[in-house]
Amino acid sequence: MESSVPDFILFLGRFHPLVVHLPIGFLIFAFMFELYGRWKKDSSVSIGIEFALLAGALSAAVACVLGYMLSLGGEYEKAMLDTHFWFGIATTLVTFSAWSIRSGKLKIPKLRGLKSNMAGLTLVVVLVSITGHYGGNLTHGSDYLVKYAPFGRKEKVVLPPIDKLEDAAVYDYLVNPILDAKCTSCHNSSKKKGGLSLQDSMAIKKGGKNGEAFIAGNVAKSEMMRRVMLDPHHEDYMPPEGKTPLTDEEKSILSFWIEKANADFKAKLADVETPEEIASIASNMLGLEDVTGKSGIPLPKVGLVNGEILEDIVGAGFKVRELIFESGLYEVVLPPHYIDSKNGDDLDGKLEKLLPMKDNIIWLSLKDNDVQDRHLKTIGQFVNLQKVELEKNPITDLGIAEITGIQSITGLNLYQTKITASSFDNFIKMKGLERVYAWGTAITEDEVARFAAKQNRPTIIMGM
Amino acid sequence: MEEDKTNSENPLKVNRRHFFSQLSVGIGSLALGSLLIPDLFKGGPKPLASQPLGIPHFAPKAKRVIYLFQSGAPSQLESFDYKPTLTKRMGEDLPESIRNGQRLTGMTAGQDKFPLMPSAAKFAQHGKSGAWVSEFFPHIAKISDEICIVRSMHTEAINHDPAITFFQTGSQQSGRPSMGSWMSYGLGSENQNLPSFVVLTSRGKGNSQGLYSKLWSSGFLDSKHQGVLLRSGKDPVLYLNDPDGISRSDKRHLLDHVSSLNKIHHVETGDDEIESRIAQYEMAYRMQMSVPDVMDIKKEPESIIKLYGEDSQVPGTYAANCLQARRLAENGVRFIQLYHQGWDQHGNLPNEMAGQAKDVDQASAALILDLKQRGMLEDTLVIWGGEFGRTNYCQGNFDPKNYGRDHHPRAFSIWMAGGGIKPGITYGETDEFGYNIVKNPVHINDFHATIMNNLGLDHEQLIYKYQGRRFRLTDVAGNVVKDILT
Repeated sequence: MESSVPDFILFLGRFHPLVVHLPIGFLIFAFMFELYGRWKKDSSVSIGIEFALLAGALSAAVACVLGYMLSLGGEYEKAMLDTHFWFGIATTLVTFSAWSIRSGKLKIPKLRGLKSNMAGLTLVVVLVSITGHYGGNLTHGSDYLVKYAPFGRKEKVVLPPIDKLEDAAVYDYLVNPILDAKCTSCHNSSKKKGGLSLQDSMAIKKGGKNGEAFIAGNVAKSEMMRRVMLDPHHEDYMPPEGKTPLTDEEKSILSFWIEKANADFKAKLADVETPEEIASIASNMLGLEDVTGKSGIPLPKVGLVNGEILEDIVGAGFKVRELIFESGLYEVVLPPHYIDSKNGDDLDGKLEKLLPMKDNIIWLSLKDNDVQDRHLKTIGQFVNLQKVELEKNPITDLGIAEITGIQSITGLNLYQTKITASSFDNFIKMKGLERVYAWGTAITEDEVARFAAKQNRPTIIMGM
Repeated sequence: MEEDKTNSENPLKVNRRHFFSQLSVGIGSLALGSLLIPDLFKGGPKPLASQPLGIPHFAPKAKRVIYLFQSGAPSQLESFDYKPTLTKRMGEDLPESIRNGQRLTGMTAGQDKFPLMPSAAKFAQHGKSGAWVSEFFPHIAKISDEICIVRSMHTEAINHDPAITFFQTGSQQSGRPSMGSWMSYGLGSENQNLPSFVVLTSRGKGNSQGLYSKLWSSGFLDSKHQGVLLRSGKDPVLYLNDPDGISRSDKRHLLDHVSSLNKIHHVETGDDEIESRIAQYEMAYRMQMSVPDVMDIKKEPESIIKLYGEDSQVPGTYAANCLQARRLAENGVRFIQLYHQGWDQHGNLPNEMAGQAKDVDQASAALILDLKQRGMLEDTLVIWGGEFGRTNYCQGNFDPKNYGRDHHPRAFSIWMAGGGIKPGITYGETDEFGYNIVKNPVHINDFHATIMNNLGLDHEQLIYKYQGRRFRLTDVAGNVVKDILT
């Protein structure tokens, strides 16, 4: 279809979205002037109304012509396009008649006595609003206007939450969310760029002007994949410039769906041979614990830390590093030997200073700083800790008991401390704990060997 | 702080470099952050780079690097790349189809024949992973389940200087910042009393190649990211100690006065480097106290000395440097670069390489074990390797007991351990001649990208603009080798 339309026509057509705003403005302006004139009983505004109506009618006519040119591109859904088209024509015609009535060129004796001006203008405004609404739907999609409306919000099909990765249908849980986020704003049932809609399985199967978007088992031949894999500067690259490109992870998921799941809309992960990498990405997308353990521990969501608090902490001698920008998650290190027997009491105050950001610390190192059991009581409040280095400190089993509540700790370094095998029970209580370094403690190899036989326990790492 | 005031008063001072260097947090987080917020850098006059919105990100694995550089290029064929075909076809000429147009150095380009030479060292499989390691490296063989051997490294350079410069700076031509400087820039310092990038060198008896300070230069980055060479012996850092008769308080007075003069000059000119220099003087002052303490290995117990070998008590040896590296790591140094010279075996390879291997084998393995027992291996990335490989054919006289090998950039082996690298695997493969890579090649840019990835830095986002051009360690290439990550 496009090929038969000269480029120049299509070029002009693209001015439609610009020009349409003129009649909208003119006509609403005319209507408001009419109201104003009646309210103030001031007839001097009528010249303005007449002019605005004429300008509105002419610009509406131009917009109609340009709109028709734009529609020749064939990227819009037919039914909705038709409605918009006829409403546009109607608006233009009615506006012309409203102008005729207002300027006295058209006199219908029967209507005399009725408030023909007011009626005409009202009709014009109603028509232009409806036309504009349909036009907006064509451009942005029919759910654009009310998507975030506080009323009658129709939630999209809510997928039931799943507990196990294998239960996830590849298309529904993984592919569709990606298409939804990155593609469907231009490829939906009402706005089909390149004749392609990715809104639902039916539309996807149909493909677009350039053939099928996805070809089962063949990533290279799938037009959609070819385009997203291109060099970003390539003319055919999708999404086009200015839109957010797909991430590597997202591309992997789509490739996986086409290749391993044969672009099947029903296949579940359990039915498909799933490489570790895909399982890992999928777990992330679905917010499930990563079964492969590849991407580590999910990070807690915390607020940002105010700069003054950070300054205060840095001033106390801590080294502070945000691990991921604007995640609010920090590594906090007190350099070794900062505290010794001489200034041992300072540590209490320093740890107190960390309390305002206690949820934000995920890595904490206090090695070789004369940390005592009482200090662990403070640390026990840092509920999001993942890696804790307490080695070379005089802490005992009593201290460990203070931090068993922190379920997020995965690595605990306790080498050259005064802990004993009595802490093993506490280690088991810490559900997230994977590794404990216990070289140079009273714990013996035999005790470790016996402990290793237990279920759900962390690995105890001893000296070499 | 006074220094900060002068900054804000002089408009010349306001630039990206200063903005970042004033932060106590590293800018690595910024680099990663732009993954999460693609428009982060778009507010400025020009976007640094556009980066797609990512799936949730996770905390980095490593926080420091110990790079055990084997300068001179140890032969992969006598270490980690076992090639029985070379024994079967010993003395045969290297087939042209295998050499396939590879340029040669001037040292063997004149040879009429390229006779295949098998390894003089015997190979065996080790550990649960069944990694092939030669008899030259019995200690490393024992830790084969802790390390990831990459047999498919390749480089573009064919001579030592460009090759080692490429490894260290991402460019064959000198002038770019060393990778240690990039990491210091990206991650910031963890101990204000020590530099974040430290260099230790040692030398074996084998044929060695020069090392130049350009390899640990900060290039166009702030000079505080420069590698600091610690020497063995009485003065680890030259001219760090006060001359006789000067007390520490005299030194303090001197520094205060010099600093106040420098600050005046700084306000006048707005030159960043003055500030850096003031900071360097202060660092040196603090290092007068911190360095002797860190370098003092007398406190190490007997068991540790035994682990690293007797050499570790001899200052200036590779073993002593490995032990030192661990102590520096414990004290918050981000990037510890070791060089061991003497691996350039153009002749007398079996003898010389056995000697070189003996220098480094026990201490390299000991370092891994020592880091592990201290819980540091999980966040310390250790790298062992040279600047390229060596040819599968003999250089000079054909004598299986005393042969040499020339430079070979197309395929060589290194190993990595800890810091988010999958232990107990062997990655990549060469053909039966050990000449070309047939599976999973790893270019130096990929190697850099991977190291940065494990430190939580996106190699495409850690960018420094200098002289109108944006620079990265990986320049315009590099892919993270995901297969070797934990």
